[in-house]
Amino acid sequence: MNRSSPRGSLAGIAAALVAAVLVTIVLLVLGSRTPAAAIRSFFWGPFSSTYYFGNMINAFTVLVLTGLGAALAFRAGVFNLGGEGQVYTAAIVTAVAANAAPQLTAAGGVAFALGAGVFAAAVMAGLSGLFRFLWDTDELITSFLIASASIPIIDYMIVGPLNDPASNLLTTPRIPEAFRLLRILPPSRLHIGIVVAVLLAALVFFLLFYTVRGYEWRLTGLNREFARYGGVNTGMYILFPMLISGGLHGVAGAFHVLGTHHAALVGFSGGLGWNGLAVALIGRSHPLGVLPAALVFAYLQTGSRTAILHTEFTIELATIIQAVIFFVITAQYLPQVFPRAARKLALVFGRPRGGAAPAAPEEDGS
Amino acid sequence: MIANSLGIMAPILIAALGGLISERAGVLNISLEGLMLTGAFAAVVVTAATGSIVLGLLTGVLAGALLAFMFSIISIDFGSNIFITGLGINLLATGGIPFISNQMFGTKGVLRFADMTLLPRVVFPFDFRIPLLHDLLFGHQIGVYLGIALTGLVWLGLYRTSFGLRIRSVGANPEALRLRGLSPERYRRIAIILSGIGAGLGGGLLALRLGVYLPNITSGRGWIALVAIFLGYRRPVGVLIAAFVFALAETVSMAAQGIVAVPNTVLLSLPYILTVIAMVVYSAARAGGNRRARSPR
Repeated sequence: MNRSSPRGSLAGIAAALVAAVLVTIVLLVLGSRTPAAAIRSFFWGPFSSTYYFGNMINAFTVLVLTGLGAALAFRAGVFNLGGEGQVYTAAIVTAVAANAAPQLTAAGGVAFALGAGVFAAAVMAGLSGLFRFLWDTDELITSFLIASASIPIIDYMIVGPLNDPASNLLTTPRIPEAFRLLRILPPSRLHIGIVVAVLLAALVFFLLFYTVRGYEWRLTGLNREFARYGGVNTGMYILFPMLISGGLHGVAGAFHVLGTHHAALVGFSGGLGWNGLAVALIGRSHPLGVLPAALVFAYLQTGSRTAILHTEFTIELATIIQAVIFFVITAQYLPQVFPRAARKLALVFGRPRGGAAPAAPEEDGS
Repeated sequence: MIANSLGIMAPILIAALGGLISERAGVLNISLEGLMLTGAFAAVVVTAATGSIVLGLLTGVLAGALLAFMFSIISIDFGSNIFITGLGINLLATGGIPFISNQMFGTKGVLRFADMTLLPRVVFPFDFRIPLLHDLLFGHQIGVYLGIALTGLVWLGLYRTSFGLRIRSVGANPEALRLRGLSPERYRRIAIILSGIGAGLGGGLLALRLGVYLPNITSGRGWIALVAIFLGYRRPVGVLIAAFVFALAETVSMAAQGIVAVPNTVLLSLPYILTVIAMVVYSAARAGGNRRARSPR
């Protein structure tokens, strides 16, 4: 299994982005009965109102946090596949904590609820790290399993014992007003959590690239055996990456409750963990690469949402577009694929087999 | 209970065996879920149209293989990250199937066809009446026997043929293969397509057991198959045992619904919890064993 994190040139990323936009346009034209309106809505929709724009930036906040969490684990050569469950767990714990201590001051309440949510998510991911540390149990599988186990239980709690009887929605009771994070762009749901997310990205960048621990962290990720030979306590770089990765997912979940919805909604975290992994990989597992990757991702997400609301664009089409974007966005050889296909065609049409594929990154196996 | 578990096990096992081949070739195929879903859809549609289970299953296999072939083009030729590509394949299945279903049948939901052929139970020409053994061996649907036969086949293929050796060396040391003048990409591609075949067949068996296509009919079975590969320590017989443990856990949690007043949704997490516990206990025991073995030196 290839567990190294991908790196790529800026040109490659740009080619992937261009390909993603082109593919989106083609699918919109093919799949929608009103292609012009759909294209306009898809690409312009996120900027058409404060509401959509703010929500796009809010989606960006969440993706930065989950993307950072995934990237940090990748950097240490550790896999956290439980992001979705960790976000969800943090949200429910935050909601319960906030409602349990209404007497606290605003700052105290936010700190308490946030802390509780982050702690829960960190412990959840940290368990997988601990198992790996102690008994070499594969953290990739256990983090996914533990998260998968938590989701139905939290679903049940939100629908059942923790449900808000005053609401028609499947949600917990809303948290006290004092604990709600400041909204920046009303009527959108954007809140000051974005500042925290961007600062965390900068902090992670600094810690990872300008401190000794960060150096050891990356070294362990590149080659665990070599790092241990060099005297690095590599066991620590199994446990802490998982704890911190879980903690960052926890911040995302806590912000959902404190900032975005003021309650934990059933199933809100669906796909969040995977999207975080995607953002991390698109950003080449770099804390600053995560920022543009999250922005592009949030833009496309919001674009498809506005297109669904305003045109005959369907959720299925949006999913297919996301799939195709996933196919091209990390592609390394896209610039070479088309010339190579052209060469093959030329071969088929009878050119001599002289200049076969010079320095192609790999032989084609078909 | 055992019979029921075997029935649940078969699709998971077959998908996991395919995934095992690609995993041994160094490709973690996280798209098993999407491949199974595609196989299930194709198998139900074609079985309904032709009335032939065989044609239906073959189409399921073909659909899985085609989608896996696409996976191989994107990951190998485009050089896309395998993980993201796998996620994309899953998304393509969850978005594409309702899209196609809507075009063909005007619904994105449940596909139920009149006089649908169901998977036959296998009838043996001989039989004996030893109570427990009888239940274990006889009267299952075809998938159970197929799954066990395929376990043997995959074992033979991986460990007793030069092709299997090459597949395993692609995963362990692709450069060694390249130095022998063989193309790692080629073996990787074949392994990915084989995983699509397994998942397509598994999905087809899953759906034809019920005779309907439901949205998200796989409900995590592709993921469970993936886990079974690792839980089975990447060996065919291990995968068989792991898939059975999963199936048993599911049967137990279904049976528990009748006895204990545990909410339905919470029981969904039971197979995962049991698997984590099994995994941790197993690796802890193994780690303990290793330590003891090492200590005299």
